[in-house]
Amino acid sequence: MENLLIALLVLGALGLFLALPGGRAHLARFAPVPLAGAGGVLAAVVLRAALSEPQRAWFAGLALVALAAAVRVVTHRRPVYSALYFVLLILAVTGLLVLLEAKFLAAALVIVYAGAILVTYVFVIMLAQQATAASYDVRAREPFWGCLAGFLLLAIVGMQLLSGGAATAAGPAAVGTVAEVGTRLLTHYAVAVQVGGLLLLAAMVGAIAIARRKPAADGDGGESAA
Amino acid sequence: MLIAYLLVGAALFTLGLIGFVTRRNLIIIFLCTEMMFQGIILNLVALGRYPLASAAAGPLDGQVFALFLIAVAAAEAALGLTLVVLLYRYGRSLDAGTLTTLRDP
Amino acid sequence: MPLAEAQALAILSPGVYATLPLWPLVGAVVVGLMIAGRAKAERAFWPVVLGVAVSAALGVTLFVDLGRPVWSAEGHGPGGGGAGHAAPAASGLTYTLFNWMSFGADESLAPATNRWIAVNFFFDGLTGIMLLFVTAVSLMVVIYAIGYMRDHHGHPERGYERFFAFLGLFVFAMVMLVLAGNFVLLYLGWELVGLCSYLLIGFYYGKPEAAAAAKKAFIVNRIGDLGFALGIFALYQFLRGHVQPGENPLDYAVVFKYAHALATTGAGLWGLTQADVASLLLLCGAVGKSAQFPLYVWLPDAMEGPTPVSALIHAATMVTAGIYMVARCTPLFGASPAALDVILVLGLVGALLTATMAMAQYDLKRILAYSTISQLAFMFVALGCRAPHAGVFHVFTHAWFKALLFLTAGSVMHAMGGVIDVRKFSGLRTVLPTTYRQMLIGCLALAGFPLLAGFWSKDEIIHAAFERHPVVGGLLLVTAALTAYYTFRMFFLCFHGPQRLPPEAGAHPHDAPPVMTRPLWVLALGAIFTGYLGVQVGAGGQFLGVFTPHYVFHDYLGQSTLGAAKAAAGGEWLMYVSAAVALGGIALAWARYGRAPAEDPDARLLGGLWRLWHHKYWVDELYDRVFVRPLRGLGHVFFGTDRYGVDGLVWLVSAVPRGAAFALSFLQRGALQGYALGMAAGVALLLLIWTWLD
Repeated sequence: MENLLIALLVLGALGLFLALPGGRAHLARFAPVPLAGAGGVLAAVVLRAALSEPQRAWFAGLALVALAAAVRVVTHRRPVYSALYFVLLILAVTGLLVLLEAKFLAAALVIVYAGAILVTYVFVIMLAQQATAASYDVRAREPFWGCLAGFLLLAIVGMQLLSGGAATAAGPAAVGTVAEVGTRLLTHYAVAVQVGGLLLLAAMVGAIAIARRKPAADGDGGESAA
Repeated sequence: MLIAYLLVGAALFTLGLIGFVTRRNLIIIFLCTEMMFQGIILNLVALGRYPLASAAAGPLDGQVFALFLIAVAAAEAALGLTLVVLLYRYGRSLDAGTLTTLRDP
Repeated sequence: MPLAEAQALAILSPGVYATLPLWPLVGAVVVGLMIAGRAKAERAFWPVVLGVAVSAALGVTLFVDLGRPVWSAEGHGPGGGGAGHAAPAASGLTYTLFNWMSFGADESLAPATNRWIAVNFFFDGLTGIMLLFVTAVSLMVVIYAIGYMRDHHGHPERGYERFFAFLGLFVFAMVMLVLAGNFVLLYLGWELVGLCSYLLIGFYYGKPEAAAAAKKAFIVNRIGDLGFALGIFALYQFLRGHVQPGENPLDYAVVFKYAHALATTGAGLWGLTQADVASLLLLCGAVGKSAQFPLYVWLPDAMEGPTPVSALIHAATMVTAGIYMVARCTPLFGASPAALDVILVLGLVGALLTATMAMAQYDLKRILAYSTISQLAFMFVALGCRAPHAGVFHVFTHAWFKALLFLTAGSVMHAMGGVIDVRKFSGLRTVLPTTYRQMLIGCLALAGFPLLAGFWSKDEIIHAAFERHPVVGGLLLVTAALTAYYTFRMFFLCFHGPQRLPPEAGAHPHDAPPVMTRPLWVLALGAIFTGYLGVQVGAGGQFLGVFTPHYVFHDYLGQSTLGAAKAAAGGEWLMYVSAAVALGGIALAWARYGRAPAEDPDARLLGGLWRLWHHKYWVDELYDRVFVRPLRGLGHVFFGTDRYGVDGLVWLVSAVPRGAAFALSFLQRGALQGYALGMAAGVALLLLIWTWLD
């Protein structure tokens, strides 16, 4: 199992490295190869496991989608497309959350994250666009070291996860319905809710204050949270 | 199953990290930060769903934690994007490589 | 019988005499306060003059008081004396003011008894004589200085008050030195006079030669003082095993009590006894302070100081401290033949050498300085020949006429506007008549003209030298001849011949004012008559049928640590010989220099030898090459070690963090993503290490 993980990771790293926008244009077209290879292997592994359980099939699919979307977010040249792929990522994660019986959270994720935060991101991208593809979008910054560090970290964590005997107790399938989550939130974590509210208030005030700083400001730079 | 979820979460986190370190567009950097959050949320909920034998957290604690995390991410996104817009206005550029004044002169 | 038992000091109590050092010190402090209070310089001398006068009065009284067993005894002289003849080797009266420092309780004795360094004064015959002339001559010099330290118009010089304050301090220190009852207090006075000498030589501190001379004096003295201090330490070490409870190990009375024990114990070093070692070490101090060969080089340079300083410190009082110390420690030195031989040799060499040097100098004060060294060497020879009474006698007479000579030289200098080179003036006989007469008296006394004080004391030394060994006596006679010759060479060049005046003398050079000449008459009287304290006048005498050596003076000294004087027997012919030698020297000087020739006849005659003498055998240059330059080089080495080694080490210690910071500063480029990458890589590495370690 560990060897498979390592092989997957190596392939993934190579693919990501090639896919990152940069001056290796002539190599970039080879990027999909290792990525597809990694994805294919992953898919094979997961599907084999998924054939035993239908739930695992859903997990496999959603996970693949999420990972692919994440790769595209990181490697796409145009920021708008990165944001859109991120939305796809969020949807995939939402699906995974539903699989984990976190229904309320899944809904909240879609509404807040995809609906508010990402929309804000898209707005800002539109605001700060230049006519042509900016130079800083075209070239990545030290892709080699970045990929190396990241995948090294992932390798270590993965090895630990696969080798460690994390004894899981099959706990009661805690259903994450609105009622359950709400009750838990407002009884056990009442104080934290208040603090969270304060935090949001502070963020709003801060955003407005910062946005007003420009002398010729017209006040629409700051966005409030959802 | 837990391991699988944790692996996916770790992978998302790592990809976000690599993107954060590699890309030069400020907005994409923030976006990768959000991606790291996604991985974390997945981990939290998975650990809440399949708690470890030694875990002391109550039921649904992972989801509650994730909920707060979303709130914080929202606040952070708001402020961060405000700053990005300001920076763009001042410098006409979103290049993170130009922001190097926080150093020893 | 000890003086303490015989009769206590009766005229005044010992407590009153113990205040002797205090009065000049009070005067000096008052003058210091006057300086701080910016009082007028005109009146600045009064506190010091009064203080020294009180001390002088007390000194005379003490002299009389201590001599009462002597005055009252009948019959003096060699071997004679009636019932009241003073007992031999009487120890003096130790008067303790207070216990000062403790050596700590002695563990070996049963109840723990402290041994102290006390502030105590020692009164005996030697003290009486020393204090008499120290205070009296100091008083004369101080009065003289009232008039000397003024410019042509009679206004006090710059630093007038400071001068008197230092003089007061010096008299205090010298009296402390003489009165001290233990070696530590002696050392205190010793160092303090050295300090005052430094301060006063460098009085004109703006003048580089004066500052250099002051430093030289202090440093050369310091070399001697090192030996002196080691001698005191040695004495303490040697005596530790001998002293009884209640006895302080470094008191005179105690040291001399056990001197015999020291003389019989070996010191484990080249076959010397403990007395030898202690004496030789103590001798170092005397060699430095009394300007003996080889540590005499500071005294001629010390003439840079004002003339009263030269008269008081470097002729009459401070330089006699070494002679005084050796005489005081007669029980110790007498038990050490090795030390006595060393003293004898050093004295002989010094006397002859410096007499030749004096023959070829032109600076009036320098001639007198070399003469002083030569005479001090005479006293050293006397000490080395086991005749300390003769040595002290010469100290006594020498103080009077040497001070007189220096002060008259000062009068000449004052009249000549600061010029002191005898080539620049001559024939001053008519211009300065009073000074002429005074200096004549002084020169006659120095040359050993018969019947003056110098003759008697010098003759005694020659006598003792002949008894020791004829060669020693012969060498001393030669030196005496040279002394007479160069003294009168100087005199004739200065006062005889055609009248020539230097331009600095101004229009009318004249004799000094009374405030300067009257003390000189007192000194002149001393130069003539003080010798008769040691000579009996009466029928049936040895010399000229009238005079017999050994009189009150020697009996006076007999009741001191010097012990009884040896009976002087026979050798009357020597007196005639030394008289003839003195007269011959004077005559020869008259023949060659009587007309103050412009070109020096000796230089022409002796050529290279004369040049050798004129350049003082190049001793100073030799010392410079052999000692000063290597030491300075060593100093440079140490300086370099400190700057490059020690400071370099410190710099290195500081450079390492700075270098590390510089190297690490490249990590801080302000690039946010670089930081994040670093963090991620760091976490990865840490996890790697962590998992591998598990």
